[in-house]
Amino acid sequence: MTHNILLVAMREFRQITGMRSFWLTLLILPLALAVGPIASRLTQSEKTQRVMLIDADGRAAAAIRARLDTDYQRRVLTALSRYAQRYGLDRADPGALWAQHDRLFGDADVATFAKAGGLPAALAAMRPATTSETPKFDAPEADFVVLPTPPAIARAAPGALDAQLKPLLRPGEFGDKTAKPLDYAVYVPRGFGVQTADVRLWSSEQPGANFVQPLQTVLTQDLRTAYLESTGLARDQARTATSLVPAIAVSTPAPGGGRERMLVRSVVPLLSAYILLMSLLLSGNWILQGLVEERSNKLIETVLACISPDELLYGKLAGTVAVGLTMVLVWGLCATGAAVATQGAVGAFLHVALAPLASPWIILVMLYFFLAGYLMVSMILLAIGAMSDSMRDAQSYLTPVLLVIAMPFTVVAQGVLSNSGATAIKVLTWIPIYTPFTMLARLGSGVSTMEIVGSGVLLAVFIGIEFVLLARVFRASLLNAGQKPNLAALARLMQRTPA
Amino acid sequence: MDALVLNGVTKRFGERTAVDALSFAVKPGEIFGFLGGNGAGKTTSLRMVLDIVRPTAGRISVLGCPPGRENAADLGFMPEERGLYRGMSAIDTVTYFGRLKGMSAVAARAKGHALLDRFGLAASAKMQIDKLSKGMAQKVQLAATLVNGPKLLLLDEPFSGLDPVNQGLLEHEILEAARGGATVVFSTHVMQHAERLCDRLLLLSQGRKVFEGTQAEARGRLPARLTIVARDTPMRCPGVERAEPGAVDAQGWSDYDVTLAEGIDPADVLQCLTEQGVTLRRFDQYRVSLHDVFLHLVGPPPAGLADPAMAEHAA
Repeated sequence: MTHNILLVAMREFRQITGMRSFWLTLLILPLALAVGPIASRLTQSEKTQRVMLIDADGRAAAAIRARLDTDYQRRVLTALSRYAQRYGLDRADPGALWAQHDRLFGDADVATFAKAGGLPAALAAMRPATTSETPKFDAPEADFVVLPTPPAIARAAPGALDAQLKPLLRPGEFGDKTAKPLDYAVYVPRGFGVQTADVRLWSSEQPGANFVQPLQTVLTQDLRTAYLESTGLARDQARTATSLVPAIAVSTPAPGGGRERMLVRSVVPLLSAYILLMSLLLSGNWILQGLVEERSNKLIETVLACISPDELLYGKLAGTVAVGLTMVLVWGLCATGAAVATQGAVGAFLHVALAPLASPWIILVMLYFFLAGYLMVSMILLAIGAMSDSMRDAQSYLTPVLLVIAMPFTVVAQGVLSNSGATAIKVLTWIPIYTPFTMLARLGSGVSTMEIVGSGVLLAVFIGIEFVLLARVFRASLLNAGQKPNLAALARLMQRTPA
Repeated sequence: MDALVLNGVTKRFGERTAVDALSFAVKPGEIFGFLGGNGAGKTTSLRMVLDIVRPTAGRISVLGCPPGRENAADLGFMPEERGLYRGMSAIDTVTYFGRLKGMSAVAARAKGHALLDRFGLAASAKMQIDKLSKGMAQKVQLAATLVNGPKLLLLDEPFSGLDPVNQGLLEHEILEAARGGATVVFSTHVMQHAERLCDRLLLLSQGRKVFEGTQAEARGRLPARLTIVARDTPMRCPGVERAEPGAVDAQGWSDYDVTLAEGIDPADVLQCLTEQGVTLRRFDQYRVSLHDVFLHLVGPPPAGLADPAMAEHAA
């Protein structure tokens, strides 16, 4: 029996893997995953926004520029601190600002950081602690760049600024399709803080809080300083008073920890659930094609003269599972290739992502649910194939079945990633046709052994019953050309052991 | 030991009886024709022999064993509706079926090449089935049937759909297989093939056996008919049941359509006429065909269910 099952499985496997469409379809997924980020990078618009400051006195413009720069340097320092913590670089200089991870960096910290040489000096200081595995620090992109103000605009009367700035804010409307538009223009009138003239802001679109807030902070500080000075406070005291900020101690999970860690750990289990679904969706057609070909080409009778329907069924199942595992293997090789090619960040990511697989128990569980899922759905597909005279017939059964199987997957993936809908996902775990997908998806976020074993046993029982019932349908339908059974006939076929 | 024995075999599908208490035996090396119109139960009987369907009642013995895939190594089966894996090469197809029948890969491939070579397909052995002509694909099918050198060859309507060249090839292979000691059972509703090939035959009608025996025995079931041109009636001879006279010419010669009683040899009538001094200008014996026997025993197909093959033959 095993000999015949293997022969059928090998033929099935060779037929499917010999098709050009198999390899094309197989490589579409890794290609899409590779092209996606590249395309996204290519289509991504520049994040740095262009700002022009028109300041009759020149004083406020310098303060705004300084504020924007300080905010940017704070972001660099914060990112540097997370980088040092993630890759254990603190030991290179434990006293450095970037080695402190328990507080928000204030303006004074940023000034100290800048004074010590800023980013280049910090990276040089970290270097002794880095290894070949440490990825390069990717500095955050600047939010704003302050453009020099053209003399014509700097000298223009306030009333003429609208007309002068329009071509810069919307160059496309003025025939210049190549020029980059100005994002913000700020006009600070002469005597700001003393006189009551309005500051004006032009924006190419709805102004963002990331620009309006620092602008307001600077100008408010300026106004308050002027006010305090007018009350007789010394200029330095007035400045100090307006720049006072509280020191805030911060407790956050280490990089790669907390929710971030949970998300990364869920990647491989979720991906395996996704791969199971994808491979079933893709191979479903090939499984059906093989069986429909045997039926429509009148091959079945010749085959059944040599082997039993059960041997044919098990052989086809084995061949189908082998095809599925080949797909997973190819995708795994592509992922490994990508990881090796990109190293660094991807390697570090994989280190955390593969952590759930460190336990042999979890590997076993994943393998079990993956294979069980494959067998469960393949069996349904083979029964459909046995009842169909043509691919058109088969599709009419296949589409609703695959829809029912695939539909809750989005909910499960979102639920696992957002840690929401826990009850719904738990319920789905106990519905056998969803068990493999749900359980695979949940493995990264922690599932009790009780739940794994319970749902696994239930799934095994379900597959056992499915095998008995659908094998009856398979056997009874193989030679019944031209008969498309309705639900009642299907139920009768399931009840009856064929003669 | 008989190669194939069916003993009181009945197969019912729900209310319908496809095969009704069928019994027969086929001897080793015999070419046995399984004749009957469409729906007579031929395919169902062969499927039961192959264990593709199980009988409702009765007993079957195939080469001394009960039906089952254990016999696959000794059986060759060609179904009425044939097909092949379109994406497989000719030699892979033959090898695959050889292996399903228990052969080793090497032996199946070697025998496959030998058969394809014999059928003039050596150059196309590695071509995919969908690249072959229909006639070539039919030869591949035949090679897949014969690859294991079967002891019992079961052919269900083997000539249907074959071009004349392949019909000749199949007839040759059937005779070769029988000469090699194989037993051949084939079903057909085209009587010429049965007349040319069968040692014995069985006539099936609506699932029931209506005749089993040799061709001569089958023909003996129909009274012999003669066409005589004479001046006197042959009715005086014993065994002449009827003699219908035709038109009489100017010299007094008349055509007689003569029907003999069952079992009467036409030679005896000729002897009798000679002894009685009846001058004959013509004495034609009409040889009864299996088609006539078939119509005599089974009757014409019901209106609306006329078998095109039979109609063609009759025409």
